[in-house]
This record gives sequence, structure tokens and C-alpha cells, in this order.
Amino acid sequence: MHELKIAEELSAMVSHHAAEAGLRIVERVNISVGQFVQVVPDLLEAAFSIAAVESVASAARLEIEIIAAEMRCRRCGTEYRPDDDLHACTACGSTDIDVVHGKELFIKSIEGE
Amino acid sequence: MKDILDRNQNMAEEVRSLLREKKVMMVNIISSPGAGKTTLLERTCEAMADKIRIGVIEGDVATDRDARRLQKYNIPIVCINTGGGCHLDSHSISKVLGHFDLDQTDLLFVENVGNLICPSQFDLGETFKLAVVSTAEGDDKPAKYPMLFTGARAIILNKTDLIPYTNFNTASFESDMASLNPGITIIKTSATGGEGIDRWIGWLTSQLESFSAG
Repeated sequence: MHELKIAEELSAMVSHHAAEAGLRIVERVNISVGQFVQVVPDLLEAAFSIAAVESVASAARLEIEIIAAEMRCRRCGTEYRPDDDLHACTACGSTDIDVVHGKELFIKSIEGE
Repeated sequence: MKDILDRNQNMAEEVRSLLREKKVMMVNIISSPGAGKTTLLERTCEAMADKIRIGVIEGDVATDRDARRLQKYNIPIVCINTGGGCHLDSHSISKVLGHFDLDQTDLLFVENVGNLICPSQFDLGETFKLAVVSTAEGDDKPAKYPMLFTGARAIILNKTDLIPYTNFNTASFESDMASLNPGITIIKTSATGGEGIDRWIGWLTSQLESFSAG
């Protein structure tokens, strides 16, 4: 249930940025979450609604975009989505690989007035 | 675009630079409940506590039972009860570092809350993460929890004495690990019986040497 801690950090950040931008009410928060972060979207939404209850974002809608895992093979250069939870290159089988996408956890934008 | 765990990451970097300055190597131990973290620490203290100045931060949901098991080694131990929380974060580590005399410490272990998912998401400022998995949990754990096993520098495969009584497939475990994290060191132990502990101590000593060499 690391969703609660993530929701608390998110709520604090949203309040901070809303104040900087002069927003009185935050209506929508758009975030991106990589597949490897292992966040359960429903739990994060519920946790955010609790964490933000006394903030400018108390009625905000949380939009979560899940970013699928994507790898790049350092040996043959192939970019691929892993078939399963194992990460070896689907073209040459090498395990010398970089994670291009899948570890993201960031705020894309905040909407309000 | 703002990273949601910025505050945790910034504090982790502060912890890391303080420990680097004080020449303290911090090992963040992560496993399921019951994999053998505390027993591994008992064996480690027995083998090293007279040569290396060890400190322990015990993270637990409740009780100080793990901390009490380590008291007999006469080392500084601080217990963090998370009160239901499923992981430690860098702020909780930063708060308790003041309880240690860091000038008189070489090696600080953090026994994280027993959980394979949540702790792997939070950088504590450690030198490296150590994963512990026991054979009774099954050989599919690396594939199911890639965040931890790709982020760890070494993995202790514990309770190898139980392999004859389980369907644990060592070859399949090793080939999954080679695919997920080819650079990782796998150390097989039976912490209760003491088997493999010498290999673990040897590896840990080499890490301490390369850490202090900078």
C-alpha cells in the first residue's frame, strides 16, 4: 500500500504548485505512472481523495496514465516491449538492456481556476 | 513534469552524502516477512561485530521483537515502528541517524519492513539494496517483483536446506535472475544452520573495502 505515501506526496505537490499558479480550486490532476512502479490505479485514486481532503484539490479528479514498459537492447539496438516479466531482448536474447520506459512517476499537469 | 517522490529522493541524497562523509556503508535489506533477514543479521553480527562497528535500524510494523533478538551483540540498534506503514522512507531514516555515533560506525544495516513491493520504491540513501528470498517462497519471485530484484546489488537465497522439501527450482531461479539483473551477485545460505554465511561475509567485506576506498 505504498499508494498512500505517493498520494500524500502528490497532494502536497499539487497544493504547492496550485498556490504558485494562483489557483483557488484544482479540478484535475494528470499524472504518469510507469508499469514497473506497481501502483494500483484504484487504490491511488482512493488514497489521493483522502490525502487531498482539506486542500485546494479536495474535489479534483485524478487522471492516471499508465506507461507500458519499453526496453532498448544495448547489443543489437532493438527497442521492444517485454513479452512477460522477464526483460531479455526479444530479438537477440541479450540481457544487456536499458529500461527506456516503465519507471516513471510524475505530474504531467494540473488544471483548475 | 514533476517527480512525485522528489522530497523522498532529495532527503535520500542528503542521507547518502552524510554517510559518505562519515564513511558509513548503509545496506537496505528487503524481503518478504519470514525470509530470514533477522537471522542473517544475527549470523553477520556473530561473524563481524568484534572487527567492524555495526549499527542496525529495525523497521517493523509493530513490536521490537527483531531489535531484541539483536541486543545480545551489544551494538547500537534503533527501532522504527511504522504503525501499519508498509515501508520506510528517507525521512524516517534521517530522523533516527542522530541516535548513532556515525564517527564510530562502519556499517549500518536497515532491516526494512517485510514486503517485496513498497520498500523497493523508496530510496533511503543506502549504499546498496540487498534482497533476501527464501526457497520456501518459490523460485518465481524475481519475475513477479522485478522492481526489487533489478534494483538490488546482491540477493541472498536463504533456507537452501529446505530445497528437498519444496518445489524450488534453482536453475529456473538463476536463469530468471540472469535475465532481470545480469550483474547481480547470488549468495546461497542457510542462515539458521550457518551454511554459506562465510561466502556472504566474504562478499560483504569486499563491498566494505571498495566503499572505503571510495
